[in-house]
This record gives sequence, C-alpha cells and structure tokens, in this order.
Amino acid sequence: MISGQSPPAERNPAIGTARSRWLWIALSSVLLLILPFAIPLNGESHAELIRFLGHFHPLLVHLPIGLLLLLAILEFAGTSRISFRETAGFVLYLTLATGAITLFFGLFLAYGDGVTGRTVTRHMWGGIALLIALVLCAGVRPAWISGQQTRVYPALLSVSLLILAWTAHQGGSLTYGSDYLTRYMPGPLKRIFPSSASDARYTGSFYLQSIHPVLDAKCVACHGAQKEKAGLRLDFYDLLIKGGKDGPVIVPKNPDRSLLLARVTLSPTDRHFMPAEGRTPLTADEIATIRAWILSGASPTEKSVPGFSRLAENTDFNFPPVGDYSNLLNEIQALQNSDGAKLVAVSSKASDGLILRTVDVASKFDDAQLAHFEPFAPFIVEVELGRTAVTDASFDTLAKFTNLRALHLEETAVTGRSFAKLSSLSHLNYLNLSGSKVTSDALALLKAMPNLHHIYLFNTPAESALQASKDIPRSTQ
Amino acid sequence: MKQHPLCTDCENSFTPLGLPIPAAAKHQWAAIETRRRFLGRSGKVLGWAALAALFGDMGVSTRLEGADVTSAPAHSGNSLGLPHFAPRAKRAIYLFMSGGPPQMDLFDYKPNLAAQFNKDMPDSIRGNQQLTGMTAGQAHFPIAPSHWPFAQHGQTASWVSTLLPYTARMVDDLTLIKTMNTDAINHEPAIMLMNTGNMNAGKPCLGAWLAYGLGSMNDNLPTFIVLQTKTNPKENNQPVSSRLWSSGFLSSEYAGVGLRSGTDPVLYLADPAGVDRAVRRNMLDTVEAINRQTLAEVGDPETNARIGQYEMAFRMQASVPELVDLSKEPQSTWDLYGPDARQPGTFAYNCLLARRMAERGVRFTQIYKRGWDVHGDVVGVLPVLCGETDRAAYALVTDLKRRGLLDDTLVIWAGEFGRTVYSQGGLSQENYGRDHHPRCFTAWMTGGGVRPGITFGETDDYSYNVVKDPVHVRDFNATILHCLGIDHSRFTYKFQGLDQKLTSPVPAHVVQGLLA
Repeated sequence: MISGQSPPAERNPAIGTARSRWLWIALSSVLLLILPFAIPLNGESHAELIRFLGHFHPLLVHLPIGLLLLLAILEFAGTSRISFRETAGFVLYLTLATGAITLFFGLFLAYGDGVTGRTVTRHMWGGIALLIALVLCAGVRPAWISGQQTRVYPALLSVSLLILAWTAHQGGSLTYGSDYLTRYMPGPLKRIFPSSASDARYTGSFYLQSIHPVLDAKCVACHGAQKEKAGLRLDFYDLLIKGGKDGPVIVPKNPDRSLLLARVTLSPTDRHFMPAEGRTPLTADEIATIRAWILSGASPTEKSVPGFSRLAENTDFNFPPVGDYSNLLNEIQALQNSDGAKLVAVSSKASDGLILRTVDVASKFDDAQLAHFEPFAPFIVEVELGRTAVTDASFDTLAKFTNLRALHLEETAVTGRSFAKLSSLSHLNYLNLSGSKVTSDALALLKAMPNLHHIYLFNTPAESALQASKDIPRSTQ
Repeated sequence: MKQHPLCTDCENSFTPLGLPIPAAAKHQWAAIETRRRFLGRSGKVLGWAALAALFGDMGVSTRLEGADVTSAPAHSGNSLGLPHFAPRAKRAIYLFMSGGPPQMDLFDYKPNLAAQFNKDMPDSIRGNQQLTGMTAGQAHFPIAPSHWPFAQHGQTASWVSTLLPYTARMVDDLTLIKTMNTDAINHEPAIMLMNTGNMNAGKPCLGAWLAYGLGSMNDNLPTFIVLQTKTNPKENNQPVSSRLWSSGFLSSEYAGVGLRSGTDPVLYLADPAGVDRAVRRNMLDTVEAINRQTLAEVGDPETNARIGQYEMAFRMQASVPELVDLSKEPQSTWDLYGPDARQPGTFAYNCLLARRMAERGVRFTQIYKRGWDVHGDVVGVLPVLCGETDRAAYALVTDLKRRGLLDDTLVIWAGEFGRTVYSQGGLSQENYGRDHHPRCFTAWMTGGGVRPGITFGETDDYSYNVVKDPVHVRDFNATILHCLGIDHSRFTYKFQGLDQKLTSPVPAHVVQGLLA
C-alpha cells in the first residue's frame, strides 16, 4: 500500500499497483457485506469468549470515531499547512484498522449476547457501510493527493462522517434507550417533538398505569424495539404475553410460574438476575404490583387489581388537575397576612391545588372574608370552614370554586336552604355538615350532584329525619 | 468575645480569651474568627442560594443552613417540597399500646392450639432464636392457647377475641396487620425502633418527622401532642420517657408536647393573680427582644426554637383551656365513649381529647397506654387492659367516622412487639404468662389512605413466625408516611454526614397491599 507521504510524482506510473488496490477494495467490501450472513444474529447467546471480546465493543468504538473526526480536521487544516495533510494519511489507515476491529467486536457482542432488533440491525449495517466508505476513501485518496481527482475523496469523507453520525446515534439508542436525547429535553421543546406512545387502546387500565411504566423504565432498554435480548420484548402487552425464546414470561393467575417474576426476584448475584448488567433492579413495591397484577389474571384492560387500587383509579380521588398558581404566590402571601386564613398547597405539585384553612381565625372568619379568596377560586380544591361564622350567603362565593372537591361546614350556622347554588361544583365529593343547622329538606337539593359521595350530617336536624328514610348516602366508605 | 448569654455558669467558667495568651495573639485570633465566620457563612449562603436556584426542586433547597437562622421559625413544610404527592390523610392519631399486647389473645386466632395445651412448642418453630433472660432458662416451652374464645365479625368475617367486643364492631373499617415484626426483643430498644426507626435513642420520632416535614395546621396548638394514660397499679407498667417523642437531631420545636394526664393538662397555664394578658404579652415581647439579640450574636438555631416555644405557650394559654373544656360535648359523646371519658387521664378521656385535637388541626397525636407487658397472670390482667382501651378505641374511630374526620385522619393501633405462644412460668388451666416476641405481632390502622376491612399477612400455626407478607417496623413507618403524602425514601435530613430518615439506612418499602 502506498502511504500519503509519498510524493505524487512517483505514483502516477504505478498503474498495476492501483489495479491491485481496487481489487483489494472490492474484495474487502464484499467480505464486509457477507459478514452478517456468515454470523447471523438469531437471538441466541453464544460462547463466553465471544461474549467477553464482544463486551469490549462499547469501549473500542470511541477510538475510530475520534480518529475519523481527527482525519477530517487534519484534511481541512491541511489546506493551509501541508504537514497536517501528511499526517492525515496515517490517521486514515489507523481509522480503518481500528474500525475493522471494532466492527468485529460489535458483531461478537450482538452474536454472543444474542441481541436482535431493528436498531441492532441498523447499527450493524451502519458500521459496515462506514467501513466500506473508509476503504473507498483509502482507495481514492492517492488520486486526490496527486491532484487527479479533486472532488471524490472530500465527498466520500463527508459521506463517511454522515454515516458515522447516524450509526453512532443507533448505538446510543441501544445503550441508553431510544429517547436518550429527548428524555430531559426542556418542556417547550418536548411539545415540538412528542415522544412515542404505548398501547393506547388500553388507556386507563391497571396495566398501562402501573405495569407498563415499570417495564418501560427497568426492562425495555434491553427488551424492546431497540434490543430484543433473548427474543423478548416487553414494550407492548401482546409481546409481553407472547414471551421470548424461553417461552412465555407471564403465566396469568400464577405468579410463581411466571419467568419474569422469577428473574427479577433472584439474588442480585445470580447470573440470571434481571435487570442484568448492573442496571437498577425493580423495587419491592414494583415487584409486588406486578405479582398482584399477574395473580389477578394479567389483564390488559382491567381497571384495578385487588389491593392495588391506586389514587388515580379511585373514583374518590380521580380529579382533573388544577392550573398552576405559582405566579400568584405573592398575592396569596399578602392575603394570608391580612386575613389570617391560609391557602396551603395540597402537595408540592401545583396541579394538586390549594386548601383554604381557617382554623386559626375560625370564629372571626365570615362570608365577607371568604369573598376575598375569590381571585384564587379555580385553584382551591378544599375549603375548611368548620366553626367559622359563615352562613348560607357563602354559597354565592363557593359556587365559583369550580374545582372544589371537599367542603367543611361543620359547626356553622349553615341551613342549606340555598344548596342549589352549589350545583355548579361538579367535582364536589365530600361535604361535611356535622353540627350545622342543615335540614332534610335542603338535602334534596344535593341529590343532583353526581360526585358527592360523602355527606356527613352528624348532630344536625337532618340526621334524625334521614335515619328514618335512607335517601342520601351518608358515606359510601 | 462575649460570654454566651445562656451560659449557666457565667461567673466561674473561662473563655479562650481569658487564658494567659499574649494580647496580640488574642486580637489576631478574634479577627480571624470573625473573618472566618463571615466568609464561611456568606460562602455557604451564596452557594446554597445559587444551588437552590439552579436545581429547583431537586431537594438541595431543603434547609438553607445558616441562612434562615435569623428568620422566624418556619411552620410550613412547603420549603421542603412536602407533601411529595397529594396525601390521603392530613393528620394521624397513634394509639400506642406500650408493653406488647399478646396478639394470639386478641386478633391472631389459632384454633388448633387448644389441642396442644401444655405440649412443648416444637424446636423447629423457635429455630436458633435467642430468647429474653426471663424465659431462656425455661426447661419447657409449654403452649398456652388463648383463654378466650374468638368469633367472626362484620361483613369481612374477621376473627376477634371476645375480649374486644367493641373493636369487633368496627372490623370492617380496620386494616388488620398480623405480620408486624421488629428487630428488638426488649422494651426500650423495641419501643425506640417503633417510634424513631432506630433502637438507639437520639433519633427523631415519627411525630417529630411529621411536624418537621408537614408543619402545623393550627398556629394555636402544638403540631405534635403526646397524651399519657394514667397507670393502673394492677398492670405491669413499663416506663415511657420523653425520648420517645424527642425531635432528635431536628430542631426542638418539632418535639412532641406532652400534656399531663391529670386535671391540669399544662401546669401554670393560667396567669398568676395580678398578671393579665397585656402584662404577659409585654413580658414576652421583652424576652423575645433579648432572645433575638442572642440569636444575632450567637446564631444558634435553638434560640429560634426557644422564641417559637414562648410564643406557642402564650397562644396555648388561650387554646388549651378551650381544648380540654368538655362541657359542650353532647350527650351522644358520653354515650359513645363511656363513663371513663369523664375522668381526666384515662385512655377514654385521651381518645376524646384526640378527636378534639383532630378537629382543631393538631397534625399528630400520640396516646400512650402502658401496662400491656403481661409476663404473668394474663387471665387476670388482660380483661382489665381491654376494658380500658377497647371501647375507647372504638369510640374514637366511630366518632371520627360520624363527624367526617376519618376520611382524612389515619388512626394507628400498635405496640412495640407481640408475645410468645408458650407460657412464661407455670401454665395451668386457669392462668399463664407470655414473654416478649418480636417475630410477629398484630397492629391495625384505619382511616385516610389505608384499605378498610382487610386482614394482611399470615402467621404460622403458633403465631410465632411470619408465613406470608411480613411488615417490618420500617415498612410500617414507610406506609404511614405514604398515607400522609410523604415518600419515605426522599424525606431526609442531613446529619452526621448521612441523609438521615425515619426508615433508617436499611431499605424499607411502602406496603402496597395496605393502601386504599
């Protein structure tokens, strides 16, 4: 082989050498192209030695990448300083050599570990295409140096860089998951690039709410569209039930015979323990959830599983999120300081809303003061007015608290004559009237409220009347 | 440098500056000290502020140490990003059965033990367990079946001993956990573990963690109140000390406030003759001004806690008399709680107070009932204990339920461990004793966040080992925190170089099967 350092004048007559070089190029390209057929990726793992070598692929791969980038830089810099160009020839052959080793190790990795899948295949063909492009580069570079061909080599090098970028992205997706670039993308960008969805037809099911997220976070990196280790995919319900090359991994109603559970509950030092390769193991809670789901029949549509009705599935707690009040914090603070009543966050999530708490100023808190909180009406989900001086007139204000879920009116002078005003509160679920002056006539006005499942009437005129005729459910709990 | 104003021995103790050191060196040292402090503090403050701004809710901003020392005591948990998620319970009431109730005489029904009366418990059941010194020397471990029959109750058909006729009425509301287990076999470490997640004293208890994390709901009453039940001399009362409601390494404003079990829940609450509210206020203002001076000079956060406690005491002068004034309770209350509730210091009275505190926004109430340590004379003592507690616990749950408070209150009934199936000392047809048993015991919960009407876990035929679904003390505490909207693994406080938490360094898990 002729290196780039040689003066161009010496190479022109050497036509025979050029011909044999093209022969070499054609031969190696064909060899590279048939390589995947010689070593088929059939999803079965192979000898330990092959796997051992294969695991060096992620380590080695960065060497040719760096060298190829260096090559491009050297060739570019060579336009102004010839000494860079002289080095570039050496770097090209070095890239070729390390690239070839990396390719083989990559094949060992996939073949040895029994990895299959769309991304693996793409990554492999990307690597082969890149190596062929590099071989071609080496073939045309002497002509470029001698000035016979001015465009082919730069074009081939640019193509190589593009193939490199694409192949490296496939490799990154394999290692870190397909969303490795977008996972921590800032919110506004995320709306422009929406992430892929899962089994949308099972929306609202226990599987999609509690099982799929666990598998997605802990298993799908190796058992998904990108990698299908052991021929198993866990990213869709049908594939999860189908199982892998060792047969089904889920046996409905029989968690003890379900391979998936067996593997995640082995000792972490066991070689069959999953997730493998030191990835984060499943927590006991997650395992318990999966076990309960399998025990109940591993249904994709079932809304709940005994013992595991989560917050979101419980109708008493299935409320729409409220808006974000964080830009109103100063106004809230000012109002609290003047009134003494407090607006308290339900949780650290703004969408969980606010609670109006009056216990510190109870006897002094009246309808007028309640009206001060109107500006925050859409964010308030619970109003505690127990032992305050509010009356039925407060319902005019409360009617505007459209996201209200719980209303405490115990030990107040409320009679309920104007309960009809509350009919706009479609989310109201809990109404505590203990010790108030509410009458049984007034309760009839509440009948139309669809979500009002918990009404408390202890020590009210309505209570005794109610005990005779069980018209309104007091509490469904 | 000035003497610390709170120093108790100001006359005789010496400061480094009082030592025979050259004056020049002293000045230099004083200057360095000031500069070092200034730089250290400002660096810390600026660094933390920058980090907090950068990381937002990553939890770096949990406590700006040094920065907020001089501000008023914070009572809102919001600065900690708590609750982590929407809680099912706003508050909790913990009925602590100190001494270790015998699970197989109350809840854990083992019908086949009757046939094995006085037979030795098989060695395979005990395994290599080390027993307490009280029974380790026994030649025999004769099985003592429960003296009392059991019956099924409610729609859930849960087994409950006839000793608990009132509790039996509410089994459909209870979450019975039969597989509680602990690491300790003696009272003090076991009771510390239940309360603080650690067998050694010095860690904050559950209530202090809640007060720290969730803050107060009512400015006029303490966030965390402890009620002790008057002891009954017939019972074997193990000591219960304020270590159990200590704030440990958290600021002392989060410690439990113990109310006395007598007629006067807080001593010297009334102003003495000739001192009215205005005079008291005036005095406290001056004390506060002095304390603020100290705070500015010394910068000890405990001074801040002291200022807060003076203020709390002042407000409690008005709020506590109203809290313990039972004259306005309707007759239905007395019908429910029974005559005991009229006697201050009884368990029933404390349960009634706990309901009143729940109404008034106390975050966490813990009632201690001592005497469950039945090493001997189970047949004589257990009915007394059940008589004191059974109706009161039922009354509390029922009262909370009818007033609509059970939806967002978590009620917990538990001791520090269980008792052995074999008899301690002599076993006769009439009587037996039971030793401490950490491997399984029964607790119950009810209210916000837990699944009503279930019996969780299974024990073996001797109520000795857990067969299915163990609930360790740490898992129990993690589950309690979960009901109150707290992820136990993220609820930490930096101390001694560790991210300390209630569930201690050993991994704990929320028991999903207990949750509603």
